[in-house]
Amino acid sequence: MEKNDLFNNNKRTRYIIVTLVLLFMLAILILLNISIGSVKISLGDAVSAIVNGKPGTIEYDILWKVRLPRMAAGIILGGALALSGFLLQTFFNNPIAGPFVLGISSGAKLAVAITMVFTLSRGLTVGSAMMIGAAFAGALLSMGFVLLIARRVRRASVLIISGVMIGYICSAITDFVVTFASDENIVNLHHWSQGSFSGTAWSDVKIMAIVIFTATVFVFLLSKPIGAYQLGETYAQSVGVNIKTFRVLLVLLSSILCATVTAFAGPVSFVGVAVPHLIKSFAKTAKPLIVIPLCFLGGAVFCLGCDLIARTIYAPVEMSISSVSSLFGAPVVIYIMARKAAGD
Amino acid sequence: MEYFFQTKQLAVGYDGKAVVQNIEASIKKGQILSLIGPNGSGKSTILKSIMKQLETISGAIYISNTPIEGINSREFSRKAAVVLTERPKPELMTCYDVVAVGRYPYTGMLGILSEEDREKIDGALRMVNALDLKDRGFNQVSDGQLQRIMLARAICQEPEIILLDEPTSFLDIRYAVEILDILRQMADVHGVTVIMSLHELNYAKRVSDLVMCLKDGFVMRLDTPDVIFEEDIISRLYDLPDGIYSQLFGSL
Repeated sequence: MEKNDLFNNNKRTRYIIVTLVLLFMLAILILLNISIGSVKISLGDAVSAIVNGKPGTIEYDILWKVRLPRMAAGIILGGALALSGFLLQTFFNNPIAGPFVLGISSGAKLAVAITMVFTLSRGLTVGSAMMIGAAFAGALLSMGFVLLIARRVRRASVLIISGVMIGYICSAITDFVVTFASDENIVNLHHWSQGSFSGTAWSDVKIMAIVIFTATVFVFLLSKPIGAYQLGETYAQSVGVNIKTFRVLLVLLSSILCATVTAFAGPVSFVGVAVPHLIKSFAKTAKPLIVIPLCFLGGAVFCLGCDLIARTIYAPVEMSISSVSSLFGAPVVIYIMARKAAGD
Repeated sequence: MEYFFQTKQLAVGYDGKAVVQNIEASIKKGQILSLIGPNGSGKSTILKSIMKQLETISGAIYISNTPIEGINSREFSRKAAVVLTERPKPELMTCYDVVAVGRYPYTGMLGILSEEDREKIDGALRMVNALDLKDRGFNQVSDGQLQRIMLARAICQEPEIILLDEPTSFLDIRYAVEILDILRQMADVHGVTVIMSLHELNYAKRVSDLVMCLKDGFVMRLDTPDVIFEEDIISRLYDLPDGIYSQLFGSL
């Protein structure tokens, strides 16, 4: 009994350390994001501008209208991507499943692009709700294809390759649509279709926060069945999990999370695979009650870091966030696959 | 006579095609029923149907005189626990975590374990002699240890009936006997009813109260072991050539 407590304490200490390290990194990244940019603002100036600056001053406008909302988007959307990946890995029982790898992000991207081109060319504007709706429909469509393939072929590698191919097909069609329709209204579309947090307004932040926090609460409430599902579908069913409902919920929640990200920021690659894997390895657990909040935090840190690099390395020119997140995320995927192929 | 488990006119199978038909079985509380028969005779199909993994084709299965379709999933999970042939490969789960999944029907919304749950888990681990494995990674244990953990998981679910599909395959004789002895003890001491499929006839003879012989889509025989394990029944069940039975099982 005593040994048990000691052991639990060790585990608890580990979870607390991982949480604190992530919070510390998040704090550092927030400070860096506030001060670094094409206009450098010292931390002292920044704080005073945020707290009691007046609208109209350069610092105030840069911070309140550009950097802070963009940062909020990075945190919320990054967390959403990591969670979406975690859900898909649970669903497919495959550590390299993720919204980008399975082509779900690209499906959402295609649907948003078509919707935007269609409405903008008629001189209409596209609201956030409509964008999210379109992205959700596109995500579900891609997910539908992936599920069809998963039902026919049981091999995990086939699933991943099919997902990547679906992603390519959707991206290619998006390219056709965007290039074909390139008039002035759609200049931003190209930028968006590469993935970027730039141009986020507070009104966007509000909507993404509502959608994503609601979905996150649902995901957290699914901790218990997710834990049982880790032993496989049959065992989960035998302890009382309603498998059909559970699977539908996993699909819907992972799709809405990934769709919201895509609607606002375009595709952001590999966050969904890399972050859950890193979190599980650091915390040395797969317990959903612990992994779900940590994944959100980890995704926020990962995306905020990537966005900082994307917008500052060649400032004032911006790189796409996907290029940066691939650079850090893709090696993690290779590592997981290599370890899996080596027989674990 | 009060029976705990009963089937009436039961037919089981896939996609509306029966694999085994006309199954009539009645088991008392605390009895062990073993299913034997050649490969493909429908042992697993019957077990899956009782587990509600597979819809029955016709007839009915009763637990305490209630048809199992009428029992909701939470209630059913408190009555019946399973040990399957498939080997789960959860990442980063300790043996303790795996056993703890058995408490699912009893924990609250977020599945947080209470002191009572922890005691039940320790008790189940003690019962299968695996308390020393609790902090071991589940993917790192041997076949014999794995099967004991999966049995502990079923035990701490506090079921009235345990269903096991080939619980002794891959196990050497020592571990196999150990598992069967634990089941016997569960049945005798705790009144748990056990239904399992077994390949090894000597194990079936040793542990069962009743043995069901399955062949060609029907129950060929259902009786006590001393009736079943006679040369003509076993030879007919497995289509053994003359003389093989006494060579193999002369000492049974």
